[in-house]
Formats: sequence, C-alpha cells, structure tokens
Amino acid sequence: MDALKEFFNFFADPRAFFLLTVVALFVIVWKREAFSKDSVGYGILGFLAVFFAFGLTDENFRLIVAKPDNVPIVFLIFLVVFFTWFSIREGVRNDQRIARGEDPIEKDESDRVWVWPDLVYTELIALILCTAVLIVWSIGLEAPIEQPANAANTPNPSKAPWYFLGLQEMLVYFDPWLAGVLLPTFIIVGLMAIPYVDTNPKGNGYYTFAERKVEIVLFLFGFLILWNALIVLGTFLRGPNWNFFGPFEYWDIHKLEALTNVQLSDVIWVRMLGQPLPENMFVREIFGLLLSFAYVAVLPVVMAKMLKGYYEKLGPTRFYVTAVLFLMMMSLPVKMLTRWIFNLKYIVSLPEIFFNI
Amino acid sequence: MADKKSVGHAYNIDFLNVVFAASSIFMFVTTIMMVWDDYDREWKDYQRRFVQLEREVTQASLVAAQGVLDPAEVEQLRTERAQAAAELEASRAQVDELESQLDGVEALLYTTTQEYQGLKAVYDVERYEYEELVDQHPEDAEAERPRIEEMYEEWLALGLDVERQTAERDGIRDEISAFTMRVTEVDAELRALTGEVDRLSARVDDLQPSLVNDLVFNAPLLDFMAPTITVRQVITPNIVDDVNFTRVAKMDRCTTCHLAIDREGYEDYPQPFRTHSNLDAYVGSASPHPVQQYGCTVCHEGMGQSISFKHSSHTPGDLHVPHMTGDVDAHGEHAETSGDQTRAWKSDLGWEEPHLWDYPMLPTEMTEASCGKCHGGSVYVPEGPKLSEAYGLYERAGCYACHKSEGFEGLRNPGPDLTKISSKLEPEWVARWIRDPRAVKASTWMPRVWYNSNTSDPEDVARNEAEIDSVVAYLFENSEDHEFAVPDPRSGDAANGQQLVESVGCLACHITGDETRVEAGPRRTFGQPLQNIGNKTTYEWLYDWVRDPKHFSPDTYMPDMRLTEDEVRDVASYLVTLRGANGIEAPGTYTESDVTEALTDYYRAIVPTDEAVTTVAAMSSEEQKLELGRRVIGRYGCYSCHTISGFEDAQPIGIELSEEGTKLLPRFDFAFLHHEIPHMKVEWFKQKLRAPRSWDRSRELQPLEKLRMPNFGFSEEEVTLLTTAIMSFQSEVQPVASQMPRSARNDALDAGRNLSRRRNCISCHEIEDVGGEYQELVGDPALAPPLLTPEGAKVRPEWLYAFFRAPIPIRPWLDVRMPSFHLEDHDWNTALDYFGAVSDAIGPFRTHDASVSREVIDTGEELFDLLRCQQCHVLDSIPDDQPTDNLAPDLRMARERLQPDWIVDWLVAPLDIQPGTRMPMFWTEYPGSFYPQFDQDAIRQIESVRDYLLTFSGGPSPLTGN
Repeated sequence: MDALKEFFNFFADPRAFFLLTVVALFVIVWKREAFSKDSVGYGILGFLAVFFAFGLTDENFRLIVAKPDNVPIVFLIFLVVFFTWFSIREGVRNDQRIARGEDPIEKDESDRVWVWPDLVYTELIALILCTAVLIVWSIGLEAPIEQPANAANTPNPSKAPWYFLGLQEMLVYFDPWLAGVLLPTFIIVGLMAIPYVDTNPKGNGYYTFAERKVEIVLFLFGFLILWNALIVLGTFLRGPNWNFFGPFEYWDIHKLEALTNVQLSDVIWVRMLGQPLPENMFVREIFGLLLSFAYVAVLPVVMAKMLKGYYEKLGPTRFYVTAVLFLMMMSLPVKMLTRWIFNLKYIVSLPEIFFNI
Repeated sequence: MADKKSVGHAYNIDFLNVVFAASSIFMFVTTIMMVWDDYDREWKDYQRRFVQLEREVTQASLVAAQGVLDPAEVEQLRTERAQAAAELEASRAQVDELESQLDGVEALLYTTTQEYQGLKAVYDVERYEYEELVDQHPEDAEAERPRIEEMYEEWLALGLDVERQTAERDGIRDEISAFTMRVTEVDAELRALTGEVDRLSARVDDLQPSLVNDLVFNAPLLDFMAPTITVRQVITPNIVDDVNFTRVAKMDRCTTCHLAIDREGYEDYPQPFRTHSNLDAYVGSASPHPVQQYGCTVCHEGMGQSISFKHSSHTPGDLHVPHMTGDVDAHGEHAETSGDQTRAWKSDLGWEEPHLWDYPMLPTEMTEASCGKCHGGSVYVPEGPKLSEAYGLYERAGCYACHKSEGFEGLRNPGPDLTKISSKLEPEWVARWIRDPRAVKASTWMPRVWYNSNTSDPEDVARNEAEIDSVVAYLFENSEDHEFAVPDPRSGDAANGQQLVESVGCLACHITGDETRVEAGPRRTFGQPLQNIGNKTTYEWLYDWVRDPKHFSPDTYMPDMRLTEDEVRDVASYLVTLRGANGIEAPGTYTESDVTEALTDYYRAIVPTDEAVTTVAAMSSEEQKLELGRRVIGRYGCYSCHTISGFEDAQPIGIELSEEGTKLLPRFDFAFLHHEIPHMKVEWFKQKLRAPRSWDRSRELQPLEKLRMPNFGFSEEEVTLLTTAIMSFQSEVQPVASQMPRSARNDALDAGRNLSRRRNCISCHEIEDVGGEYQELVGDPALAPPLLTPEGAKVRPEWLYAFFRAPIPIRPWLDVRMPSFHLEDHDWNTALDYFGAVSDAIGPFRTHDASVSREVIDTGEELFDLLRCQQCHVLDSIPDDQPTDNLAPDLRMARERLQPDWIVDWLVAPLDIQPGTRMPMFWTEYPGSFYPQFDQDAIRQIESVRDYLLTFSGGPSPLTGN
C-alpha cells in the first residue's frame, strides 16, 4: 500500500505531472479511435473513482481532497475527463462517417425544434437541478467563520481562487509582471481574437477531429494542460511555501526546495565564456534580450517560411497574430523546460528596472 | 444545413416530464432539508433541555418556599380577609352608590381633559402664528392680539374645570376606600407573605410545556417572529476583540447554551447548564466582573460569536499527550493524561483541534492566565490564586533571567554568585553538580544543561565532558579570593545547631529534609535547599556565610538572623552534617583533541575556518580549555542566572516572553513533533517545559545548531502553572476603561504585593489571606510569625520603620525571630504603604487626642484590673503561670507601637481582626456592656482602657534602641 502511495507521490512531481499530462494528451489524440471506445472512457472514470476511493483511506490525502474548498476541483477532474472523452468520441464517429462519405450525425438531426417545450422546458429543468444541487452542496459542505484576517499572519500556502491557480502556477516560472499582467492579457485578447483569426467554417455545428486537427490539439493543450492540469496541481499538490507535495504526503512546513537556479547571463558569461558579468546591465543581458527578440519577432517569420500552406491560407496578418499568440502560449512550457533541464531562472534579468523574462 | 427540415422535437417529451417531475421532487426535498438544516441547531436542544431543568429546579425552590411558609399564618390572614370582605359586603349599597357617582365624574373629567389639551394644542399654533406676525408684519399684529388673549383665557377656564372635577373624583375615591381599606391592607400582608411562592409558581407555570410555543413560536419558518428559544448574547463596549485592523466590542453568545452560568442552584448539573464555579468573583451581577460588562471570552478565550460547540473552539482539560521518552529523567514524572474528556468530546460533540480561531479557549485550569490582560504587571492577582502561584513559580524557577518578561525586570539573579567559587566549592564537585544537578539534590531549581535528549548519544559523551570540564576550569580560573571573616573557626554543637535551624526561622526559606520541590513549593525553596550541603562545601565557608551572608555575597537576599557567635558555630556544624548523594560519574572521558575540536567549532561560527584552526592551534591546551569554558558559558547563558566574571554585560539568551500569550500559533515550530503533540499553543509550551530539546528529535544537527534550553525536570503540575504564567503575558488589547483603575492605593498594593513575594515575607507571614506556610511548621498559630493583614491599621508607621531597620523581640518567648533584612528605605516605604493600603489607611498621621481626664484614666485602670489583662500580657515581667501560647506582647510598647483607634477596634472584636487569636472578647454585649462604668457604655469603657494603656512607658523600643 505504501509502495503504491510512493508511486503516486513520485508521479505527482511537477515535472513528471506535466510530462505525463502532455504525453497523455498526445496519446489521446494519436490513439483517439481506441480512446473513444465506451470501455476506455468509463474505464478511465472508473480508475479515477477507484483512485480517489483508495486515496481517501489516507489521512493526508483526505485532509486535502475533502477540504470543502477543494471538493469542486474533484468534480472538475471528473467532468473535464468526461467531456474530453465525449467530444473526442463524437468527433471520431463523425470523422468515420465523413470518411465513408456520409454527413455528420448532427446533420441528420432536425435543426429546428420548438421553443416550448424543447428549449424552455429543458432550461427550467436545468434551473431546478442546479438550484437543488447548490442547496445540497451548501448543506453538505460547511463554510464556518474563521479568525479575523491578519496582514501579519497570512495563510501558508496562500492560494488564489481555484480558477486562478493556473495563473498562480505561472508565477513560479515568470516575473509577476509577465505572469500577472502580460500573459493574462494575451489570454483574454487571444480568446477574443479566435473568431477573427480562425475563419475555417469546418466543424461548425458538428463534432469533428480530422477536419481541424491542429486547432483542436492546440486548444486542448492550452485548456487541458496549461489551464486545468495546473488548477489541479495548484489545488492538491502545492503546499506550504508553495512547495510541492505528493497527494499522500504530509504538508510539512519545513520541507525544503533547493533554490539553485541561475540566470541566462550567468550561464553564458560565467560558465561558457569564463568571465565576470559585465557592469552594464544591457550588455550583461544582451543574449537574453536577443533571444527574446528572436522568439517574438524572428520566429514568426521562420514559421511563415516553414508553414507555407498555413501562411497562404490565413494571410500575413492572421498568420502573425496566430503565431504570436501561439508563441505566447508556448512560452510557459518553454520556461518550464528550461527551468527543469537547465535550472534557468530568467532569460533576461534586469532587477535594476524590475523587469525579468 | 442545406435544406430546412420540418420542426421536430429534440427530446422525448414524456421523458422530459418524468425528468421534470423527478427534479421537482428533488428540489422539494432539498428545500425541506435546507429549512430543517437551518432549524436544527445544537443550541436549541440545549435550550429545550434547560427549560425542563429550570422547571425541576424552580419546582424544588417552590417546594422549599412553601415549606418555609407558616400555614397557620396564611390561614389566619385568609380568615381576616374573608371577614373584611363580609364587612364590605354589608355596606355594599353605599359603595355601589359611590361607585356609580365616581363613574359619572370620571367620564366628565375625561371629556374636559380632552378638550383642555386640544385647546392648548390649537392655542400654541395660533400663538406661534401671531408671534411670526409680530416679527414679520408688526403693523397687522395689533388686530390679532385680542383673539389670542381670548383663547388663552378660555384655556385657563377649562383648566379650572379640570382641577375641580379632579378634586371631586378624589373625594369620592377616598370615601370608597374608607370602606375597602381593610381588604386592601390584608391583601398586601398576604402578598408580602406568599410573594416568593406566587412568583415561583407563576414561573413553574411559564415553564410548562406549551404546544403554542412548540407549534407556532418555535416552529421552523415561523421562528423569526417571537421565538422563546433564541440566541442570547452579551455585547461589552469596554472589552474588545482585536480584529487586526480595528478593535470591536466583544459579542459573546456563550450564554445561549450556558444558560445557568450566572444563576445559583445549578452547581451540580452537567455542562453546559452548570453555574459558574466562582460567582462571587466572576459573572455574578454583584461580582467585580459581571457578565453583562465583561462577557466570557475575555477570560476564557474562544470564538464568542459562535453558537456551535466545535467552532467556538472549546478546549478539553485533558488533551491526550503520549508519554515522551528521551527527555524525561528519573526525577520528572510525566504521567499521561487520561484523555477521557477529549475522547468523549470527539465522539459525542464532533470536537477537533480548534484551528479556525487564533485564540482557542484556555483549558479551565489555565483560565486565570487571562487576568494578565487587565491586571498586567502585578505578580499577585486577587481572586487569581493559580496565576499568583504560577508567577511565584515563574520567579523562583528564574525564567525571567534568560527570557525577558515585562513585570519581572530588575530582579535578583536566581542562581548564586560564582565570582568567588574557589573559596566555596571544589572543581570535582562542580563537575558532578552540573552534569546532573538533580542527581545531587533532587529539590534544586538548577536545570540540567548536558545529557539532555539531544546530547545523550554515546558519541556526545566526549564533547559533553570536555565542555563540563572547561566550564569548571573557567569558573575556578576566574574566581576571586575570599577573605573569611574568621579563619579556621572552632566547630560547635551540631545538635544545638539543628535545633536552631529548625526553630529560628531558617526553614521558612530553606528545606533540609527529603521534600521534593513540588512538595515544598517555591516559597520554602526560596533559598537554596540545604539538602546535601555538607558534600558541597566546607565548614569554614558555611561558618562565614551563616555569620554574615552579605560578607560573601553583598547582593544576596539572605537576611541576617542575628545569631550569636556560638549559635553560628552550632548552625554551621549542623549544616556540614547534611550529606547525601554525590551525583553521577562521568559516563566517559575526553581527550585534548575533543577540546580542540569543540573550540574550533565555536570559532568557525565567528571567523573563517582557516583562522579558527590556526587561532585554536596557537593556544596551549590549558588556554584552549579556558576559552572553551568561556564560549560554553556564553552559549548556554549560565551568566543569566549566576554572576560570572567576564560576563557582566552579556545579554540573556532566551527570547522575550512579554507578549508570548498573544503570539499566533503559526509562529510556533512543531518540527517532527507534529504527530505527537496537539497542534495547540498551550501544548507547545507544555512540551517545551517538559522536554525543552525534544524538537531536535530525528534531526541531523551540528553541535552548535542544537537547542540549548536546559531541562528543569518540571513536574506536570509545575508545567501547567508555568504555561499559565506564559499564557498570561499578553499584548495590550483591552482599553483603559476595562483595566484596574490607577490610584495611589492600587499602586501601593501592587508594589507591596510584589515586594512581599520577592522577599518571601509571605512564607512566614500571612497577608491578605495568602502565605504563612511557616505556621504549619510551628503547629500553633500563637507561636508563629504574626498575621500582617491588619498591620497598617494597627501599628504606627514610625515604629514599624524603626522595627524593620532593627527588629526587637515583641514576644520574647518565641523561638522564631524576625530577621534583619537591611533593605533600602525605598523598599521599607513600599512595605509601609502596602500595609496602609491593605487596611485602607495610607499615610503616617492619625488624629488622637490623649485623654487628660483623671477619671477616665482611673476607670481604665479599674477595668484593666477587672479584666485581668496582665494575666497574659507582659508588663515588664513575663507572667510565669501561663503556657507560652497564651502569652501576649508587653503593653508598655502600646503607646509607641499601636494606633490608638486600632486598640479600640481590637478590644471590640479581636476575632474579626485576627481569626484564631487567644485574646478574649470582653465586650460581648457591645455597644452595651456588662460592666457598670460610664453607664454601661462600651465605647467609653474601651476608650478608657485604651487611654490607660497609653500612659505606660518604658517598654522595649526599636525607636530608642532599647
């Protein structure tokens, strides 16, 4: 039993957790036909249910998972898994029909239904059920008054509301200026830009995967890995001092993390060139600045050359907007990987003007 | 998308109907659940149960009240009432006639009064309008004037009507009451007799089960209107909660469940219905801390707003703490608590460790810790016996020496002066002593510094021994010489010495027997316990010390017992015979390289490693040892308790505890003990006191990283008391309005209570109902040091001051004697003011006109002889036919010593002033008298005796040095 817990604790390490979710995503996409089988879908949900049931026998696991604030995130895991599986299954079915030259299932269905009862009635039922569930929830999970807030005694760990835990996780890798301001702005602007960038009419009104492979994979990567997985990680696996704790581990405030990260300027000037850091901060950070510039300005051009088909399909403006948004999204995994592989803290580090990348 | 199909259904409507029906039922059920969940609260059950309980208790009081009632008396009154009613009935016709007249007059009066008041209202309006006109348009005003005046006249006339009719009504009423008077009187008598019974039976009726209450007023959804079951709360404007950004009045809802907390009669009922255990001091409306002003949580802590058992953060008195091994030595008994209450709370009430409130309730035995919030700075808090005891212990254990604590500044060093150690002790003895002090003397307050839980591994032995030896070497190397006042004194008679030690009063501060520290208590171990002192030091040193303690140690608190040279010899000869265990052997040895290594560690902490190594290498092995000793003393803070040469300016090593009681739980480190001790502050302190270094368990630490608080071997009782003291150190939150008011008297009380405890006066003397342990040793209170509570009213300050400076025997037949303390004037004045404050008589001057009348003096003498005062009281010669416990002080001292007013009070009621005194009460008929003098006026008789006493002179006197 303990060996099993150790096993899960090991894979809950952020590096393993992140890599596993990425691998899982690509396996799902790659082996989607197998994934879309009912037995697989229910099997995964069943496995999750067994995992949580097993986990609840452990004191530390129970303490975190059964905390009233965290219970919704347990629901979230089940719901996200179910809907991912469901949408892939529908997409796979339609792809098979389209491949056979048939219309998608949705086309066969009537697209005109009565407002009453089909719309209003179902809305009413949904309303009743939501209300009832919220009542049961509020009875079941108590929310007692706590001690007065004290600026000199903040909770440890201090966690953002669950829906912001993805953003809070970014703070581990990015300067607050980027993680708290710039990237969230890009997320909002990017989501608003999607209808203008993505004018492909395929997939409107019906599930499909084959017709929109790249878009769907990009979306799932952003939504599942960079958003939901980070919420789960932030809720269950981040403990005191924002240290990492396996699901079966005691949240010991004394646990330590070796902070041995270095700046890119250190790596290049000191380790590679064997000389002290230049006095002038811009000279010191020149490599990082060049690299960052290349990432946002040169890389889109390279991508345009390499992905000629897309470039022509979208036109220069749409392509560049898409490319920049894509690169911004990928900056998080890029930053994570450079941290884990090279112990890299910041690519550009200008504490003199409070700016780091 | 291509061609529009006909309109269809997305769902099967029959199926939707079923879903709708099911979800509606679900919704209905959840709504009922919601209402029930809101309605079903634990506090309501308590209130329902309390109604039954109150009915039982009220019923019992009703029965008791009825028992007291004399049925014959009631019956007689009832008969009288019947008679009176019959008489009234006889004149019924007249009464009826009068009453109908009264009705007519009253009706008329009512209408007239209405008219009168209505006219006044109209007149006021008109008058205002007229006044406005006068101001704005004076030219038009004159025309209006007659109308206003006419209205006023009319109103006056109506007023006269009202007065006339009122007089007429009162006349008729008087006539009626002439007939009914007897009935009314008897009714009033009856009410006076049965009032209590009537009130109680009405209350019992109120408390009967009521369907209306259950089904209407307290029913779910209807209970917002006028429920009989309600949340009760106390809001205290002068007692506040600190919510960090502001302070708000406390809102305590504890009485919602603790319904009988301020009522007598519920002492034996189970919680939450029990009466407060000390209504005279707390909660009761006549107490100094009524619940309406002080609430509950200011003392008990916990979340007052909460009405749930769990969330209000109750704390059981017996949190289950597993037996800690490792740090508990053979002398400490750390029994596991039973944990019964904790277990019962967990299973019955869903209790868990409070973590939603910063200050969970204090365990009941520690509640007095909260006294410190408003009575800060006092070492003795009235009505807080536990806290006062805890402070006594805190001082005696010397906690303040390492841990700065507000209110405990400027006190003596708890340990002896070590600057002249070489003349007193041998190095071998000191090494054995500090290796494990309690192995040498079980009752010592000296803690164990080495061989604690984090330094008891076999590999620690060499380092421990190296450190111990180095410390000893340092102390002896830096010791000054002491010149004995009498070199090589002759030895004396040990048997007589023992008799002296046991009778003159040494035992008030020192123990010589096998008592443990807990048995003897902090007062009787105020001075070093004398057990085993013969092993410790030499006859020569003991002689020198007993002869004059200040000769060896000028700052010692040990007073001068004024022993003769012979007595000193006898006492010292006795003390050297006190021998016992010799401590423990060193469990291993060390080499010079251990010293070098240890010293290098100390140096590495302050200089680069290379420098440390070369510096240490440059020293001789002797120098290394001395330097290591110096470093070790510095690290363990030995100088905090002992005066040690070279550490005159060193700062104490512990953290300040002045606000420790308000420190928040997250500031406390539980290390790897988090599974062993409850996650609560009081438990943290207890663990720290039981096993100060257990935090190092399972940890991999370099020698200098280890914890260094020594182990005092506290008993569980001492642990609880010290935790209470620490919890009482609070930051100032409560407003001035809630604090003890400042006044000269209160300041004098504070200062005097501190002094009398810090000089251990209360070990011999009882003051303010505390202390006087010495009495138990003597057995007979008449032969013990006197009660000092009345001292301020009794004794003249100038006499007392002189007595303090040079005590004379007041009762020469006593063995025990008042020592000479040689305090500063400042302290003596504190004592004088304190006695004055206790008796509410501060200040030296009292009016007293000495009697000049020969007649008064003569009568006094007459009574003096009659009452045979001289039978017990000394008057020059000590009466030889009395047992010593009957003897009383020389009356020739009275004039110089006693306050004339007090002599009167004393003669009136000696037992009120000094319970247990042998002084008879002569004027039992006071203010009358048995004796014929002055027309049996007791006061004048007593004053004459007093005035006669004041004519005596020539007794022993501290003033004249007689």
